Amino acid sequence: MTLLAVLVIALVIVFLFSVATGAVHIAPRAILAAVLGHQSLTPTEQIILLQIRLPRVLAAGLVGSALAVSGLIFQGLFRNPMADPYVIGSSGGAMLGACIGIFFFSQLSVFGFSATALLAFAGSVITMILVYFLARSKGGTNVVTLLLAGFAVSTMLGYSSYFFEAFDTSGSSNHGILLSWLHGVIGVPRWTQLVISGMLFLFATMIATPLMRRLNTLALGDEYAHQLGIKVEHTRIGIILIGSLLTAIAVSLGGLISFAGLIVPHVARLVLGPDHVRLLPVTALAGAIFLVFADTLARSVLAPTELPVGILMAFLGGPFFLYLLRKSKRSYAL
Amino acid sequence: MNSLLSFHEVSFGYDEPEIIRSANFELQAGTCTALIGPNGVGKSTLLRLAAGTLRARAGTILLNGASLSGLPLRHVARTVALVPQQLDVPFQFTVRQVVEQGRTPYLGLLRGPMKEDRMAVDRALELADVIGLQQRVFNELSGGERQRVKIALGLAQQPKLLLLDEPTQNLDIGRQVELIDLLHFLGKEGITIFASIHDLQLLEGNFSSVLLLSPDTPLMEGTPSEILNPSILEKAFNCPPRRHPLLLERSQQRTKRAG
Repeated sequence: MTLLAVLVIALVIVFLFSVATGAVHIAPRAILAAVLGHQSLTPTEQIILLQIRLPRVLAAGLVGSALAVSGLIFQGLFRNPMADPYVIGSSGGAMLGACIGIFFFSQLSVFGFSATALLAFAGSVITMILVYFLARSKGGTNVVTLLLAGFAVSTMLGYSSYFFEAFDTSGSSNHGILLSWLHGVIGVPRWTQLVISGMLFLFATMIATPLMRRLNTLALGDEYAHQLGIKVEHTRIGIILIGSLLTAIAVSLGGLISFAGLIVPHVARLVLGPDHVRLLPVTALAGAIFLVFADTLARSVLAPTELPVGILMAFLGGPFFLYLLRKSKRSYAL
Repeated sequence: MNSLLSFHEVSFGYDEPEIIRSANFELQAGTCTALIGPNGVGKSTLLRLAAGTLRARAGTILLNGASLSGLPLRHVARTVALVPQQLDVPFQFTVRQVVEQGRTPYLGLLRGPMKEDRMAVDRALELADVIGLQQRVFNELSGGERQRVKIALGLAQQPKLLLLDEPTQNLDIGRQVELIDLLHFLGKEGITIFASIHDLQLLEGNFSSVLLLSPDTPLMEGTPSEILNPSILEKAFNCPPRRHPLLLERSQQRTKRAG
């Protein structure tokens, strides 16, 4: 509980810091005052905050949270700390789906969800099921098969998105979206998109909460979980759906961002132990803090040029991933 | 008949040919039965069938008189626990966290562990004598400690029937004796024990009956002294006559008694 409180406070601080940072500096104190109802901001500052900074920072938090939680879910499902939506191809699948949506069905929407969002979700689910069956053997996943299958599928899907440029007849806007997705840029989303994504995220985490205990049981292996009265196949499909939904949310807001879903749950596990029930809220908060911080860094280190946060994450996450790979060599019999 | 578990003409195979062919036997409540047989004959398979993790191809398995395949998984899991040979746990789960998973059949998606579940976990840890290990990381334990933790995990299910797959395997003689003592103790607590045993010397005095599974003959049931008959064992295990020390000793005892 204290840890959660500390994380909430840290999130608020990082959030304020991030909103304050940019070409036009706005004092955090003035922002706080504005939240409390005082007229402390100039009209220009208000526009910058409401139309640009706030949506972007909220998006970064949402992307971080969604990636971290889906990383936690996939690591639990694969019984393997190397899993992450980017590494195992779930992000690539979502991205390909989203591209099909943008380039072919950009006007279509079903029940208020754009075809892009739905296809991103579908792409993620299909990829996960594919990788899952490729990587499984005897109730567990071999880390080598998992990483190789994920790598192959994710590279294939990520780059096949370039293919869509050939069909791009509508001008340059789609091309811009495609590039920013491939680089992992958290753009400035519209408020409606943000609200829908936020609601979907809350929905997914609510469903995920009771599934966390199931992940603890699945850690004993499929056969043991079955012996304990769990319908293993149903549970797995549920877990894949939730993890894919979270990935799709993250990809639709920030494109391909590597390793965030790997690092955050891993560090949380080092601090708290492997109990997924306790890890879920901590991972969600820590993921948001981490990515808001990284995004702030990404847009301020080379100011006025903005670095895509995906590139920054590749630089931060790559070495960490290699370190893990090296450390886990013994326990996973590479 | 108040048999806890019974097999009627049960057959099973992963593919052709079948490993288990028309097996028939009954386990009475409160007994302690050993399952012996040569390597690869299907002892683990038989235990899995009894636990409901495998479905019989033909025949019926009854648990307390009801067909096992018709019972809900959770119901079976509250009656039968299977302690496997191997348990691989990823991540750094503690002993207590592992044993807590044994409560799964009593919990729902929305119903988390309550006081009675914590008490059942405490009791299981106590019975298996691993309460002192509860905060240790499972993956860092020795073979003997792990075996006891696996039994605690099974006990947390509060089963009436405890199935054990080669519980004495890879244990030194001291740990073997401790484990056999533990099985005795659980038997006194009213838990029916059915264990596959590799080491035939552990049978006598420790088990009330023995089931012998061999490739070409029907399942044979008897007391340990009936089954520990050199001519039966040599045939079942395809062992050259009068070669194994245990069998040699047995046959000498027999001739002495006869003379």
